[in-house]
Amino acid sequence: MANDPIHQFQISKWIPIEIGGLDFSFTNSSAFMVATVAAAGAFLFLTTSSRGLVPGRLQSISEMAYEFIASMLRDAAGSQGMRFFPFVFSLFMFVLVANLLGLFPYFFTVTSHIIVTFALALLVIGTVIVYGFWKHGLGFLKLFVPEGVPVVLMPLVILIEIVSFLSRPISLSVRLFANMLAGHITLKVFAGFVTSLSALGAVGVAGAVLPLIMTVAITGLEFLVAFLQAYVFAVLTCMYLNDALHPSH
Amino acid sequence: MPEKPDGGAGKTQGGMAGFGNALKLSSEFIAGIGVGVGLGWFIDRMAGTSPWGLIIFLLLGFGAGVLNVLRSVGQVAEFGAKTPKDGKGSEKK
Repeated sequence: MANDPIHQFQISKWIPIEIGGLDFSFTNSSAFMVATVAAAGAFLFLTTSSRGLVPGRLQSISEMAYEFIASMLRDAAGSQGMRFFPFVFSLFMFVLVANLLGLFPYFFTVTSHIIVTFALALLVIGTVIVYGFWKHGLGFLKLFVPEGVPVVLMPLVILIEIVSFLSRPISLSVRLFANMLAGHITLKVFAGFVTSLSALGAVGVAGAVLPLIMTVAITGLEFLVAFLQAYVFAVLTCMYLNDALHPSH
Repeated sequence: MPEKPDGGAGKTQGGMAGFGNALKLSSEFIAGIGVGVGLGWFIDRMAGTSPWGLIIFLLLGFGAGVLNVLRSVGQVAEFGAKTPKDGKGSEKK
């Protein structure tokens, strides 16, 4: 159905693969993940291959992306945090390019599925936990003990802090997924108004101008959201990595 | 001090920032409750203490959700930060 706003999120198998009863099919989602990685990699590789001392237009985009993430990470986690730069930069580029690719008509938006964003968030929080324990041992648990809390309240506060820590990957993934899902559904609904109104004849066509303007405006907004959500994801990753590096600042 | 997420780009956008904030804060709150319920259910399932684990962890999750929201609007000190004796982190406002 052309007007179904949910249809765009359906997974379709392109190459069915089944190994040991598990479904490993190559789907449209996998195809767009590959396309995302290929597009991001090709862009960064091609724009920086000339190595101009005075960067051209495209080369300066790559350099700006590098500088942007590097300064964000340095601000949030200090110079020690720079060992995570490849990780944060890859995450940022993946989310950003996936969001932007999803804005093309008929393209699939990888980040509008919660399982994808949740896997990314688990990767972040897994890195924080593993690195935190590896670097600080049990001292990492000091993260859950705020100072200046009365001893009586301590067990309660620690439990709440632990639940709060565990909720981080959930809120990280839900935020990215909900933004992309809501944006794309809104876009589709308004665009659907245009076609169904203009089917009503001359009056309908005149009335369809309003949702058309709205669709154009929301498309612009979606570009902003695509960038903003990639940015928020990267900033929060930096802040969580900071906890792993310095559990008690 | 790490800068607040959304601090720069979102603030100037009017209605858009409101929508973004709504999604951000609600996801923080719901995540806290969701994790509380999940933990409580899991503990009940493992230890057979139904329904006490769910009740207690739902309340803890509610607390964690409120803490997440307050933390993300900068009213409460970050994880592991040193807080003054009154425990409010008032110097950060």
